Amino acid sequence: MKSVVEILKEIRPEFDFAPVDDFIAQGMLDSFDMVTLVSALDKNYGISILGTDIVPENFQNLQTIEALVNKQKAKV
Amino acid sequence: MNAVHTAGEALAALRDAKAGATDFRTNFFPSEAKLQGWIDHSELFSDVHEGATFFLRKDRDFWHLYFCAASPDALQSQAAKLSILMAEPVVTDVVGNQPALEELLARLESVGLRRYARLQRMARAQLREPSPSPATGDSPVVCADKADCSAILALIESAFDRCAEQLPQLYEIESAVDHRQVLVAKRDQAVAGLLFFETQGLASSIRFWAVARQFHSLGIGSLLMRHYFGTQSAVRRFTLWVNTVNENAITKYGHYGYAPDGLVDHVLANHIIPT
Repeated sequence: MKSVVEILKEIRPEFDFAPVDDFIAQGMLDSFDMVTLVSALDKNYGISILGTDIVPENFQNLQTIEALVNKQKAKV
Repeated sequence: MNAVHTAGEALAALRDAKAGATDFRTNFFPSEAKLQGWIDHSELFSDVHEGATFFLRKDRDFWHLYFCAASPDALQSQAAKLSILMAEPVVTDVVGNQPALEELLARLESVGLRRYARLQRMARAQLREPSPSPATGDSPVVCADKADCSAILALIESAFDRCAEQLPQLYEIESAVDHRQVLVAKRDQAVAGLLFFETQGLASSIRFWAVARQFHSLGIGSLLMRHYFGTQSAVRRFTLWVNTVNENAITKYGHYGYAPDGLVDHVLANHIIPT
């Protein structure tokens, strides 16, 4: 199973995500990337992230994305 | 239809539409600054229905329609009740990967909208530090100033499709000029070409790149593009949207390293907008 940072790196290989606190403010993820990322996370972790959770706050940095994944994993 | 007076009102309407949504669909993704600009200039209105909230933005002589729907069914059934679709010129657009969009397109076509234009996103990654930018001291390319704004707007309006390509209002150009995000090349004091971009952190997007017809084939577009790249050394990802009928521009963007990244933007228009 890939880690969140590995999935991000596949989607946007030009960025180094690990040290960044706010992917949105840095222009590293836009609303369309979030949709692509959600699809990759769903497939990788066997979860189903709801459309209502696709909001910038959940995609701000590695910690918030991992928290979103863990929340969905707990529901499975 | 009610005027939207604060960004909070718009966001609350969006939250209401999301509450209890089974298969939420939206094409409403304005940045905070853009949303505030529309509200400040009294351009934004809302129309709240059961299961779907619509936003309408006045642009020149037509309306942009945005939707926030609990499901595709809710979108279709509530959009069919929008009286503005029968009475005034309206465009809307949906963005995504082509196969994923087909269902939404069919729903919108069922309420009388038809495919008007298709834009594609192109991206260019910069994996390493670029080589030092060339000296620009005597370059004919400069950041635009306030006095150029009307000429910039006129050139954009003459070169692009107002219904398909989300042309800026004068106040947006003035703001972009203040933020040094419009480059111009001048000949005899006139704006011969422009490159209007938005840079946020490590990403930069070209919104408009145009050369006035009388100055074509003089290398002005190339000067603008090279100057732009030269001033964006921190940027790692470059993107733009281009109308797929503009094959000339697509070829040129390809020359500068841009390639389609799979995202498309379908613009739909109602029967009042001529094709």
